[in-house]
Amino acid sequence: MGVGPSAKETSLHHFRDPLLDLISSDEDIDLLGIILFGSSDKYSEKILTSTRAAIWAQGMRADGAVIFCEGSGNNHVDFANACEQLSRRGVALAGLTVIGKNGQFVVTNDYMNDNIIDVCKSKGTVEPCIIGENNLSYDDCKKALSILKIKMNKNKS
Amino acid sequence: MADIDLGRLVIRAFDIKSVSWGDEMKVTPQGEMIISKSMLPDLVSSMDTIEAVDIRLIQPDEHDQWTNTILDIIPISTKALGVVGEGITHTLTGVCAMITAVDTEGKQCHEFGSSEGNLKEKIIFDNPGTPSSTDVIISFDVTLKAGMGQERKGPYQAHLLCDRFLQVYREQMKNFDGKLCSARNEFHNISRPGKKRVVIIREVAGQGAMYDMQLFPHEPSGVEGGRSIIDMGNMPILVTPNEYRDGILHSMQ
Repeated sequence: MGVGPSAKETSLHHFRDPLLDLISSDEDIDLLGIILFGSSDKYSEKILTSTRAAIWAQGMRADGAVIFCEGSGNNHVDFANACEQLSRRGVALAGLTVIGKNGQFVVTNDYMNDNIIDVCKSKGTVEPCIIGENNLSYDDCKKALSILKIKMNKNKS
Repeated sequence: MADIDLGRLVIRAFDIKSVSWGDEMKVTPQGEMIISKSMLPDLVSSMDTIEAVDIRLIQPDEHDQWTNTILDIIPISTKALGVVGEGITHTLTGVCAMITAVDTEGKQCHEFGSSEGNLKEKIIFDNPGTPSSTDVIISFDVTLKAGMGQERKGPYQAHLLCDRFLQVYREQMKNFDGKLCSARNEFHNISRPGKKRVVIIREVAGQGAMYDMQLFPHEPSGVEGGRSIIDMGNMPILVTPNEYRDGILHSMQ
């Protein structure tokens, strides 16, 4: 598996990304930047790059991170490790990705619980191959930010 | 503590009111765009994985038609001042580019599923990443040489061909009189000391053909001058909010 047509984010999506719009305009948030890392095809590199992303976040002294993983399947190996590495470094997190109704995560851990939001909108269980159907929406992003704020407050107390 | 402004980006939008065929490639700040296929033969001959390309203008009431699998939807933007992420960007609204690709043997260029079929059923219009239902779509229908849809170079050259075509319009857009824009948006990278420090992390595609991400192009949402995240070892890269919203990423998945 990987990034199907319904989940793929076009160049236009990046030009007007709802996640960035929402977080950058929130006056209770000091947005430090956007970290991008690629999902490799080797397991060892997946672990390396996702760990390095978490180390960046810790080095930036982030209180929290919203992590988005495009697509599903093997990409969730990197995603799960990033969730673990961020949490172990004291960075609160909310996650967004396509999970869908076709099964569970291919891999999970103790750091992926009520903090992960499924952005899948399809009613069926197979990839619908329709551009834009399972993209991030403003509502998905609002949910993620709400969860993140709760988690950051818990970490503080 | 007071907020700190770390940088400003201005995006001026020019609304395109008509897109039509003509003998020249021309766009005006008043909203007229003329498309010509005249440079396509030279573009095709400069790309060794591409057999042919056709352009279709898809008006808002013409969505009921066949499309090959959709590689990308691209805003048409250029830097009028500064580099991506700062200065002034000119962008067109009411029109966008779309790339589709298939090879000479009929194999669609895709990774995990393909979106060929009736266009009106293959796009959810009016999403952040999809055309507005009132947009004119400039569709680049690329025919790759046999098997090239599954090699990194094939889809890359399809994107590059489209980018080079659009650059002709971008060069004209750079000189648009800013006072004629139909909308002006100003974005600031704001630091809010004392507030919760948050980072956005995005895991993007990085495994090969149709599973790639191009970063740091010369033009917003462009290809030329960029580099692939695969070639950078998929290692984490930091970009500013204004770099991101100005199109420092070009989707290749």
